Amino acid sequence: MLKGKLKLPAPDKPGTIFPDRLGSLVMAAGLDEKGSEIERFEVEFGEELAPIKPGAFEFHRESDDGDEAIDGEKDDKDQRIRQKPNKDAVAVATSISLEEKRSELEYELSRREINLEKLRRIASTGIPDGGGLRATAWKSEHIWKEPKRLSSTKQHDDNDVDGPLRRHEVSVEDHPLSLDKESLWRQYFQYTETVEQIDRDLQRTHPDMPFFSGETSFSRKNKEAMKNILLLFAKLNPAICYVQGMNEVLAPIYYVFSTDTDKQNAANAEADSFSCFVRILGDSVDHFCQQLDNSSSGILATLSRLSDLLKVNDEQLWHHLEFTTKVKPQFYAFRWITLLLTQEFQFEYILRIWDTLISNTFGVQDMLLRVCCAMLLCVKSRLLSGDFVANIKLLQHYPDDINIEYLLQVAQDISPDTSSYILSL
Amino acid sequence: MAAAPARARADYDYLIKLLLIGDSGVGKSCLLLRFSDGSFTTSFITTIGIDFKIRTIELDGKRIKLQIWDTAGQERFRTITTAYYRGAMGILLVYDVTDEASFNNIRNWIRNIEQHASDNVNKILVGNKADMDESKRAVPTAKGQALADEYGIKFFETSAKTNMNVEEVFFSIARDIKQRLADTDSRAEPQTIKINQQDSAADGGQAAQKSACCG
Repeated sequence: MLKGKLKLPAPDKPGTIFPDRLGSLVMAAGLDEKGSEIERFEVEFGEELAPIKPGAFEFHRESDDGDEAIDGEKDDKDQRIRQKPNKDAVAVATSISLEEKRSELEYELSRREINLEKLRRIASTGIPDGGGLRATAWKSEHIWKEPKRLSSTKQHDDNDVDGPLRRHEVSVEDHPLSLDKESLWRQYFQYTETVEQIDRDLQRTHPDMPFFSGETSFSRKNKEAMKNILLLFAKLNPAICYVQGMNEVLAPIYYVFSTDTDKQNAANAEADSFSCFVRILGDSVDHFCQQLDNSSSGILATLSRLSDLLKVNDEQLWHHLEFTTKVKPQFYAFRWITLLLTQEFQFEYILRIWDTLISNTFGVQDMLLRVCCAMLLCVKSRLLSGDFVANIKLLQHYPDDINIEYLLQVAQDISPDTSSYILSL
Repeated sequence: MAAAPARARADYDYLIKLLLIGDSGVGKSCLLLRFSDGSFTTSFITTIGIDFKIRTIELDGKRIKLQIWDTAGQERFRTITTAYYRGAMGILLVYDVTDEASFNNIRNWIRNIEQHASDNVNKILVGNKADMDESKRAVPTAKGQALADEYGIKFFETSAKTNMNVEEVFFSIARDIKQRLADTDSRAEPQTIKINQQDSAADGGQAAQKSACCG
């Protein structure tokens, strides 16, 4: 029901979800904003507004009005957050039992044509662990997009990444010490460096989980698959290559897909994970690109968007953080945002948060900023009584006593003013 | 564990901001964890952007609060991390004695400091993982010492794992910075200078002073 609360953009302004394929990532790195826009996926607004449960929708409209009325009363925010969930259709969905949710999800996923809106609505409240539900639901984003993608007029651009990579001939002038950018020797050494970096980081990915760490053949197999994915991404996106932290973003995806109880699906985990990884990074890959740090899609712009979002929702807290204690978002939210919160919570909670991120109609980044803002709101009293050091520590090591369901509810309810940024990107 | 704003001022005599830089995987975070928490773990996660720790030490009867920033090693994070150089009073340049490339890169890191840090910033060279078997060593101690001499800075070989020389490194650079601050102190008005020393460029050092004056 999130969309019901959003200020709707002008009808002629298309919503964007993910750039729909790898090619656009490369273009984005080339600073071609126009180009990447072409690649992005457009959503018809009429489609998104179609209410699934008429009753719930009407219910929701009421709280929508409430939102606007309360705009001026920021101090009531805390109270409002606690009261609102009961009114929300999302909260209604939350209250259904796990078993009901499981069977509802199974039903939705088994249909010949999946109603993505409905699937998302259920998924956003958390997907039950076990079985392959989460894997299938996360993948369903692809199923939905595939037909649209095929109809894209830019489809032929993809051809160059299909099929095996070409074999290169090393020219006679080329030599191992060459500094020439075109030198295959030089590229080879850079590639070796990338491999080493990926290896180093995979050793440090969730070191507390036997799935990823230790010298077992099981964890080695998983690391090997993740290495292949990261290397392939680096090869196909030379402008971005591999950036530390991509290992963390990949981890939940690969974990979910390879623990699918359907053996056939699990066997395809590597390929599926690659595809999902590309999509998840789709609307945030610029955060990994140093050359784009100062562009409108770079990490610094996103950080200031978070700051704006906080200001709109809680000016007192915003002022205390930014001016009184000078705790800028760079100090804590750089990692939150680039890693999609994968270093901030226990693994099971990361998966739960990702259910909500991935199933957000307005894209991962829109919900991510909301969750980040909610993380601040949820520790408001601690932040207000903290100084610079206390606040930095708190936010760099986010407390684990915060109820995740509550946090996500706060995120859903956040005043949406800045989400139009995402829509207009 | 941090003091409430009103008490923050009484918390320490000097606030010293340090920065750890060096290639990815040389053990910056491990060194810092060893120094701040007294522990060591081989299961470390990658540092993304920056991390932050505090430890208060006592030097010659003065309480020195060390605010230590740990940075990500990869080139990509340079734009983010160099923003912290200017606020730093001391920088620890860390390499891995078993990884020659990380040692060769120290010159690049120093160039970075020259570009982005204050002119009078104190530097110290640290060769970490010195506990490793000699057969794995790629950078002889003498080579590290020679590089340090070339730049006129102090040099330590450390092991975060065995806690070898970890205290010594941090105490050494803290002592040099304190000395520098004290020298500047005695040359100017004593009350104001400490505040000025804490660079206004970045972050939170002055939070303590600030809250002391605005309540």
